[in-house]
Amino acid sequence: MWFFRSPEIIFGEDSLSFLKDLRINRCLVITDNFLLKSGLLDKLFRNLPESSKRMVIGDISPEPTFREMTGRIEEIRKFNPDYVIGFGGGSSMDTSKILFALNERPDLDVYDITPLVPLGLRKKSRLIAIPTTSGTGSECSWAAVLSEEGEKRKSELASPEILPDYAILDPDLVVSLPKEQTKNTAADALTHAIEGYVSSWNNPFSDAMSEKAIDLISSNIETVLKDPENIDARNSVHIGASMAGLSFSNSQIGLAHALGHSLGAYFKLAHGKTVALFLPNVIDFNYNVSAQKFEKLNSIVPERYRKKKFSDTLRGLFRSMGVEGSIEECGITRKEFEQNLDGLVSLASESTGCLTNPRESSTSDIRELFRNSYARLR
Amino acid sequence: MAKFPSDEWVKEYMDKLNSNADYQDAGSKWEGAITFVILKDDTFKDDAYIYLDLYHGKCREARFSNSLTDLPKSEFKYIGSYGNWRRLIDGEIDPIKGILTGKFKLEGAMMKIMRYTRAAKEMVNTASKVQSEF
Ligand SMILES: [Fe+2]
Repeated sequence: MWFFRSPEIIFGEDSLSFLKDLRINRCLVITDNFLLKSGLLDKLFRNLPESSKRMVIGDISPEPTFREMTGRIEEIRKFNPDYVIGFGGGSSMDTSKILFALNERPDLDVYDITPLVPLGLRKKSRLIAIPTTSGTGSECSWAAVLSEEGEKRKSELASPEILPDYAILDPDLVVSLPKEQTKNTAADALTHAIEGYVSSWNNPFSDAMSEKAIDLISSNIETVLKDPENIDARNSVHIGASMAGLSFSNSQIGLAHALGHSLGAYFKLAHGKTVALFLPNVIDFNYNVSAQKFEKLNSIVPERYRKKKFSDTLRGLFRSMGVEGSIEECGITRKEFEQNLDGLVSLASESTGCLTNPRESSTSDIRELFRNSYARLR
Repeated sequence: MAKFPSDEWVKEYMDKLNSNADYQDAGSKWEGAITFVILKDDTFKDDAYIYLDLYHGKCREARFSNSLTDLPKSEFKYIGSYGNWRRLIDGEIDPIKGILTGKFKLEGAMMKIMRYTRAAKEMVNTASKVQSEF
C-alpha cells in the first residue's frame, strides 16, 4: 500500500485568474521582501476578489527560523483567514504551510508536524501555493523546512495535511526570475526528478512525473537561460519543476539532498547549487543498484547533452547551464572544507535522504562522497 | 530457530545487533531506550513487549515480557500487530513506510527519531537476520 498525493494544479498562462473564482473573504499572504517591492505582488492582488480582506506577511527570509515564521501568529489568529497563500520561493511557501497549521491548531507543537501524527487541519481555512521560482517543488509537497536558530541544522517537517489544496503555476510569475536563480532552481528540480526516480520508495506514479519533468526541463532550460522571456519555454520548465516536486514528494530524496542540505547548512549556499554539485557523484555511487533506471533517464535528455554515462550527461548539462560542479567552485577553500568535514558528514548521515537512497551508505561512504566532490573530476 | 517473540529471540537479536557494524555506525550517537510493542491479533493471543536499551551503537540490555509494567520505561514505543511485525521481519514492510501507512505507530519525540532513520532501518535489517519462527 502506498499513496500518490497532489494538490489541485492550475497551470499555464493566466492561471492566476483562477483565484477570482474562489470565494476568498479573508486572505493571508506570505511572501518575501523582494516580491513585496516588485510588481509581482500586485499581479496577485489584481486576481483576488475585490471584496477580500488581506493580511500580508512580507518579510520571510531565505532561511526562516521558527521565531521569524511565527512572529505575527497572534495577529494571524485574530485576522482569522479563510485562505492562506504562500507566494514566492520555497521559504515563503514552506512558511505558509507552517502558519496554516499553527493558525488552525494553536495547541500544536511545530515538531509534531510529522506524518506520524494526525493534525486535523482544514477546519478554518485552505492553503494555496503560488511559486515564483521554478524548482523547489514546495507547491506540490507536504514538507516544510525550518532553520534552527543558532544551529547549523534545518529540520524537515512533513505531514500530508500541509500539502497545499491548490498549486497555481503561472509562467508570468517566473519570466523575470534572475538568471542565477533560474539555473540554481532548475538544477534543484532536475535533482528532485532524478532522486525521486531511483529512491527506494519510487512507484509508477512518481516515475511518470520524473520522466516527464526531466524531459521538460532538460529540453527547455537552455532556451530559458538564453531568452528568459520566452514564455513557452518558461512554462515548460515551471511545469517540469512541479512534476519533479510531485515525484520526490511521493517517493523521496536521496544522498545528493542529504549531502547538499548539510553543505548548505554549513556554508550558506543556494540549495540548488549544493544538491547539483553532488548529484553526478551520487549517481556513480548508486549506479549498479539502479543501472536500468539511469539508462532510461539518459535516453530522455536531448541528444546534444547525452554521454555514455548518465552522470557524465548531467555533468555536461549542468556545466552548460553554468551550475557549479564542485565544492571548490562554490568558493570554499580546502582548509575550510577539511575543518568542517566531520560535522558535514555527521549532519548528512542524519538526513532521511540516506534512508531512501537506493544504495545503503555508511558514514565512510558519505565522507568519501564529500571528498570526491570537493574538486571537479578532470 | 528462535520463536518470535520470546526471551530466546530477544537474546539472539541483541547479539546480532551488537555485532552489526552498520547499526553501530548508524546509531553511534543514539541514546535512548525503545520498546517494541507486539499487539495481539487473530494468530497471536497476548500482547508482548521487547525492551531495548540502546546507547551509542550498542544494545546494553534487551528484555522480553508479556507485561509492560515488568519492563523499564522507554523513551520510544514502536507498535504494531503481530501479523505486521511478522511482515516487517520478513522484509515485506519498510519500517518508516509502515508508520506512514498506519501499519505501525511510533510514540516518542518525532524529531529525534527522524534524525536516526538509518539506525531504525538497520534495527529492522538486523531483526530479519534472526532465524525467526512464527
Ligand atoms: Fe531540493
